[in-house]
Amino acid sequence: MLGNLNIRVIFEYFPALWQGFLNTLMMSGLGFAGAMILGIIACALTIQPLRWLRAPAVAYVDVIRATPLLAQLYFLYFGLPRLGILLPEILIGIVALALNSGAYVAEIIRSGILAVPRGQFEASMSSGLTYLQRMRFIILPQAIRPTVSPLIGQAIVLVKDSSLLSLISVVELARVGQQIALDRFMPVEGLAATAAGFLIIYYMLKALAALWSRFNRLPGQA
Amino acid sequence: MIRFQGLNKWFGNALHVLKDIDLDVAKGEVVVVCGPSGSGKSTLIRCVNGLEPFQKGSLTVDGVDLGAKGVALRDLRMEVGFVFQQFNLYPHKTALENVTLAPIHVRGLSKTEAVERGEALLAKVGLADRMNNYPSQLSGGQQQRVAIARSLCMQPKIMLFDEPTSALDPEMITEVLDVMVSLAKEGMTMMVVTHEMGFARKVAHRVVFMDQGAIVESGEPASFFGNPTHDRTRDFLSKVLHH
Ligand SMILES: Nc1ncnc2c1ncn2[C@@H]1O[C@H](COP(=O)(O)OP(=O)(O)OP(=O)(O)O)[C@@H](O)[C@H]1O
Ligand SMILES: [Mg+2]
Repeated sequence: MLGNLNIRVIFEYFPALWQGFLNTLMMSGLGFAGAMILGIIACALTIQPLRWLRAPAVAYVDVIRATPLLAQLYFLYFGLPRLGILLPEILIGIVALALNSGAYVAEIIRSGILAVPRGQFEASMSSGLTYLQRMRFIILPQAIRPTVSPLIGQAIVLVKDSSLLSLISVVELARVGQQIALDRFMPVEGLAATAAGFLIIYYMLKALAALWSRFNRLPGQA
Repeated sequence: MIRFQGLNKWFGNALHVLKDIDLDVAKGEVVVVCGPSGSGKSTLIRCVNGLEPFQKGSLTVDGVDLGAKGVALRDLRMEVGFVFQQFNLYPHKTALENVTLAPIHVRGLSKTEAVERGEALLAKVGLADRMNNYPSQLSGGQQQRVAIARSLCMQPKIMLFDEPTSALDPEMITEVLDVMVSLAKEGMTMMVVTHEMGFARKVAHRVVFMDQGAIVESGEPASFFGNPTHDRTRDFLSKVLHH
């Protein structure tokens, strides 16, 4: 089947594919940056003791994790205009991706912090460090190390999820693939081109993960 | 320097872990606390630097009333060193960084001053050649000596030790005890939870025996070991001295 793939069509659509690729990259990048910010804030709120600050953060994480991204996307797409907020589709998409992944990022970071042994909190407290100093010098450096792999995993999920934005007519990789399928009745070519684009992004992220673990090995560890 | 007066502590509602504790530790005094597992020894010394709150009675450390509302725990902790059974060194920092972190960020020392002080202390505990090693590259005994140097680098007035040698292989116990002995001889005020009765005999001014959350007996080492008055003390001593 792949043997008689119509490569010519893919070349013909290359400019559109390239544009879709760049859009996917851009939306994923911005979406993930937003997710990191949201996730760090939500995590910070869930682990601090004041209940009235904790409750909304916990609710956010729960609601997002319990509902499908598609529902969240449509909710924003149809809901925001009703509130009088008119945003271009692409922005709605980025916001949806950030909101969605932010909840997972919060959980990943929280699990990293919970994995830091109690003794580290007690030792740093005993030496008189303030809460923020403890977090900055002792807890977070140890908490972040084990979260990098799962965070990159979440980034990979987000990149794939961004294909859902084609449903609100954002032009990204999957959407261009669909166009090839519909315009030329060549669904296999369209899907193959889309898949290749996602594969490239996946390998870029994977290389990033490998680089990170190479340069951040703890001394004395294999 | 440290004064417990009728101190009581509960975990939850039911677990009464410290019962009417009265204890005075004078400046320069070395007090060894011993007793069976679960008797409340750790909880007792963890109260001294505010790691554990208590519900009744009073505790004054270096003039600070720990029962008072809004007490400046951080200021107190600068003056009280704590050495843990499990060392609790910071794994992502070298020995020297472990030792200088708090002096720089809490005491406000310049980096050069802190490094100078830290190097001197690490040399003093016999680790002049291991300053740039990470904890994972050190033996248990070496890690515990770094932990002691880390506390000393804050120049505390009081040092607390919670079973500092219990997690160590026998051949490493002496190297840690030696450091503690020299510290005691220099006049440091110390509370030491330990079952190393040799250490108690050698440097303690007083030995306190706890059982089920209460202080059962306390006295100078000579009388404490020579003729303990309580059955429970005798019982306990026969167990730790003959094994
Ligand atoms: N955080 C906690 N929450 C509830 N109970 C606790 C907690 N910490 C200790 N306890 C209980 O309090 C009692 C006293 O504990 P503590 O650790 O002070 O004993 P210990 O004399 O130091 O014993 P060991 O020799 O085993 O270290 C024990 O019954 C223990 O189970
Ligand atoms: Mg204990």
